[in-house]
Amino acid sequence: MPAAASTPPGPAEAPAPLIDVRGLCMRFGDRIVQERVSFSVGAKTIFAIMGVSGCGKSTLLRHMIGLLRPAAGQVFYGGTDYWAGDLEARNRLRSGCGMLFQSAALWSSMTIRDNIGLPLAQVPGFEGAKRDARVAEVLHWVGLEEFAGFYPADLSGGMKKRAGLARAIAASPPLLLLDEPSSGLDPISSRGFDELILDIRERTGAAVIFVSHELPSLLSIADDGIFLDADSHHPIAHGSARQLLDHCDHPTVHAFMRREDLAATDRDYASEKALP
Amino acid sequence: MDATAQAPEPTVGIQARFAALLASSSQALSFLGQLNLAALASLRRRARFPRADFVRVTLQCSVQALVIVVVVNLLVGAILAFVGAVQLVKFGAGIYVADLVGIAVAREMAAVMTAVVMAGRTGASFAAELATMQGNEEVDALEVLGLDTVAYLVLPRVIALTLVMPMLYLYGCAAGLLGGLLVAASMMSLAPAAYLDRSVEALNLAQFVVGGSKSICFGFLIALTACWYGLNAARDAAGVGVATTHAVVTGIVGVIALDAVFAICANALGV
Repeated sequence: MPAAASTPPGPAEAPAPLIDVRGLCMRFGDRIVQERVSFSVGAKTIFAIMGVSGCGKSTLLRHMIGLLRPAAGQVFYGGTDYWAGDLEARNRLRSGCGMLFQSAALWSSMTIRDNIGLPLAQVPGFEGAKRDARVAEVLHWVGLEEFAGFYPADLSGGMKKRAGLARAIAASPPLLLLDEPSSGLDPISSRGFDELILDIRERTGAAVIFVSHELPSLLSIADDGIFLDADSHHPIAHGSARQLLDHCDHPTVHAFMRREDLAATDRDYASEKALP
Repeated sequence: MDATAQAPEPTVGIQARFAALLASSSQALSFLGQLNLAALASLRRRARFPRADFVRVTLQCSVQALVIVVVVNLLVGAILAFVGAVQLVKFGAGIYVADLVGIAVAREMAAVMTAVVMAGRTGASFAAELATMQGNEEVDALEVLGLDTVAYLVLPRVIALTLVMPMLYLYGCAAGLLGGLLVAASMMSLAPAAYLDRSVEALNLAQFVVGGSKSICFGFLIALTACWYGLNAARDAAGVGVATTHAVVTGIVGVIALDAVFAICANALGV
């Protein structure tokens, strides 16, 4: 691997990671999407999954949340192997995660209030007024308190994303998985969403894993990350977006971070490597 | 080049089709099993049953479908009476058109026509809604919460349509008999009281039990196939169209095939 810009702390000096991905291999039939994917994410970390379109970023997220079963490798939640348990055990582990889907995936037959209330209904102790209060609280955090009675079809794309984020954080999960949270948003809304993610991290203390290829978002909020390569089908760099920008010399990462022509970067890289 | 050497072996194609048929049959059986488990879990209150969604779906496939069910069955009753009247009048047996319409409607036509209407209307709606939810990742969002998607999405739809179909069947029977009465009274100048009297003579509870039983099975079949195709749709716009088409076609063919099985069974039992 050309760059390992950050070295993960040893187990003795850090608490057990919230999620630990070890040697994950993702396939669709005979087609390899990614293999040898390994990383871990600790509390309050904002971790970015980076890469060009089609490299398997969202697929990795779906494997991590248990929507897809890996061809090989393991996903540990707080030290427990996700796929080793039965369905009930897996659901228990998954209840520690909140997920914002790329399309927000709000249930169209329910109001925003009910969309946020449903995850809370799965949590014992969140009944009646307590649930309503929590729904109002998270809606206030994302600035949608006036839209509680609206249906998803009545909201704009950005509002849907914020409502999806409110639903993801409603049950106070320690880990948030966000699939391209700022895709389809204008630069101002995208910046606002980044601020919102930082704010949510401060308020809830949750770790955030997000998939993105939006450079401003990656550079402004990610503490750590991994870069997936579509050609070699495995991660080619670890580290925060800033570290990759400054130190990684892999042509794909270089081109991605500087928005350059990959063919030109590739030629430069090859000639550099050819130098004695 | 030897053309015969290039030709695919016919048995290979048949084997592949047979294997695909076996695989889809096993998936369908597995889906039925999941539905049974979801029903048990809901009864034991271990799976979340969406009451609001159930009420919405029940209204959608009952009150909102009533007009079209009544209109179709009224016309079918009228057509039966018209065709029967032309023949029966030749033998001076015009009054027996009430027997023809009554038995045909109660035993066969009301259940089958109502099922065909519901397969085209509600079955298509179920498949399109679930396929769209699949494409919008709404089904994944339910799974992430640990909710059983069969219990949450399929069970309310299957229960709603299975419960509602016998009621729609009864409305269909009433509309069919009315259609026959209108034709008999207007074309054959039969007294409505005589027609109704003859209908009561011809009909017995067994006819309605057969028709009602069919309608329950048809409702279950339509809802199950529609939900199956909806949840297994491809995650794109074309997938919604394909799922809807398959749901309607399979629903209608399934209803006709099941009706044939009912006819054989009823004949064997002497009902």
